[in-house]
Amino acid sequence: MGKIFCVCLSLATGLFLSGAAKAADPVKIGVMAPVTGDWASEGQDMVRVVEILAAELNAGGGINGAPVVVEVADDNGTPKTAALAAQKLLTSDMVAVIGTYGSSVTEASQDIYDEGGVIQVANGSTKISLSEKGLARFFRTCPRDDEQGRVLANNVKNLGFSKVALVHDNTSYSKGLADETREIFKTIGVGEVYYDSIVPNDRDYTVSLTKIKAAGPDVIVFTGYYPEAGLLLRQKRDLGFNVPMIGGDATNNTSLVEIAGKEAADGYYFISPPSLADLKTDAAVRFMGTYQEKHGVQPSSVWAILAGDAFLVLAEAVKAVGPDPERMAQWLKTDLKDFQGLSGPISFDGRGDRIGEVYRLYRVSPDGRFMIQ
Amino acid sequence: MYDFDFFLQQLSNGLTRGSIYALIALGYTMVYGVMKLINFAHGELVTLGAYFGYTLLVTLGLGRSLGPPLAIGFSMVMVVGLVALAGHLLERVAYRPLRHSDRLAAVVSALGASIFLQNAIMLKWGAQYRAYGAELLPNVVFHIGSFSLPLVRVLVFAAAAAVMAALHVFIHRTSLGLAIRAAAIDQGAAKLMGIDVRRVIALVFVIGPALGGLAGLLVGLYYGQINFNMGQIYGLKAFTAAIIGGIGNITGAMVGGLLLGLLETLSEGYISVAWKDAFTFVVLIMILVFRPTGLLPERVAEKL
Repeated sequence: MGKIFCVCLSLATGLFLSGAAKAADPVKIGVMAPVTGDWASEGQDMVRVVEILAAELNAGGGINGAPVVVEVADDNGTPKTAALAAQKLLTSDMVAVIGTYGSSVTEASQDIYDEGGVIQVANGSTKISLSEKGLARFFRTCPRDDEQGRVLANNVKNLGFSKVALVHDNTSYSKGLADETREIFKTIGVGEVYYDSIVPNDRDYTVSLTKIKAAGPDVIVFTGYYPEAGLLLRQKRDLGFNVPMIGGDATNNTSLVEIAGKEAADGYYFISPPSLADLKTDAAVRFMGTYQEKHGVQPSSVWAILAGDAFLVLAEAVKAVGPDPERMAQWLKTDLKDFQGLSGPISFDGRGDRIGEVYRLYRVSPDGRFMIQ
Repeated sequence: MYDFDFFLQQLSNGLTRGSIYALIALGYTMVYGVMKLINFAHGELVTLGAYFGYTLLVTLGLGRSLGPPLAIGFSMVMVVGLVALAGHLLERVAYRPLRHSDRLAAVVSALGASIFLQNAIMLKWGAQYRAYGAELLPNVVFHIGSFSLPLVRVLVFAAAAAVMAALHVFIHRTSLGLAIRAAAIDQGAAKLMGIDVRRVIALVFVIGPALGGLAGLLVGLYYGQINFNMGQIYGLKAFTAAIIGGIGNITGAMVGGLLLGLLETLSEGYISVAWKDAFTFVVLIMILVFRPTGLLPERVAEKL
């Protein structure tokens, strides 16, 4: 008798609870981030950014009355751990997962999320092939690597240069960017007078510079990293060779100015995703204020902010079509147009890549600061 | 496009680069001459010199407080002294206990010392690039037609040349130099002649590192940028220079260093920057094929 009563009671409570939950079924969104490991500072920023946005959303009544629950899984910045993290998030019924930072880490989790039927929005994985696999529910709020070449080439043209010396350092990133840019120079009619590599860590680039000088370009395009860019600028000045130079996002590091010296770095151009201080939209300024208030510092890079953008577009999709991954993915691709995210307007193309320019043009000021143009 | 000015430019590029290689190569060749040991940790002593200079000139701000000429002179003396001390300690700890064991043991010990020093430098000063600051040296450039010659380049070359000339005089005109030469030819015979070979080895391990440390400081001053594993590439280049010149031969190291610098810049200038190393090392192989002991081989005692 007692037993039957118990069963009845539990059935009743079960019915009651599920009935009550129906009214506001929480929307579960996962964050897969490198909370530990080499990129821990990025990962922790990602989590903080998403948690602040979720708290704000819930304080305002959630999405159509339903609260948002954020669950974090640590991917350690390694592909191996990412696979485990993805499994873990799938077993707790996520609608969508935000993350992650590294391209190889994202790659290891992509198929798992795809088979699990959830949406994945990567925030820092720029490798081209990630969105070339035909996965219907993969998105990213960061630009692809080939986007940078396009923006770099167009900026060179827009700045009025027509004879470029293209220099890379033979790393896969740098050579890839140089070749990408080179192709686009051909289509937009920018002439090339010099193309060669330098050897990183050689320190002495005076020979390259004298050869470039002899070739007579009106700009040097360098696609490598900041240590070499700094040396090129410094040695260029030492040789009395006054030609402007422009580079890619790997030169966005203040050490560049230290190495080159303020005088030699003055006027150097580079393109890069905007630094946080240059995100001027109302939403971004307000968000930075909240973040600063809560954590006492600013996020260390733009990539964490792009995780916040991923959260905002997902919330928007749930609001529009409900927490159904298939319909949300469709909606994000076809109906989301110029949504105002923290980093600027967001739309996605058919592959889930972000449309619209994330890269901005920077110029080093005479006192060595990076000024957005 | 490639006129005479261009050639002059490459010549000056090559001599500057080569004089740094030569300074480092001297350390390899002196140690090899006396001990028949390749001191693989020598590149790290170069790095150490660069970082001591960084600490003195940038962290302690001597560059600003003393003014360039005095600060650079003072830091040269300090760096040479400190790296000489480090070299001496290295010999005491890593090589002296192994003097009577197998040569292989000493080589392994050298490799170990190299790895240890490189990581110690990384832990002490950090893995990121450090900058000397362009403000340390006045930016004076001499222009002769389209040929331009920065003052700093002249200074680097002059400093290296002066030190090498002094070393040449020391080795060939003093009794200590004679002792070093004698120990290099035959340690046993030198001992019989009343030369304290242990002291000669200790001396060589002071002079070699001191020159390497100076080279590190010059790299910092000239290029303005240093990092914890810079010794690797400079060590490799200087070792090559020592081989080209004939390892064990002091004049050979100087010639080899300058020649390697010129080979690099000329192949960069007239062939391709990307192919520079391939071309340079092909030349090295050719030299070794036709002159296996290098251009100026070590003097070996003639056996009668």
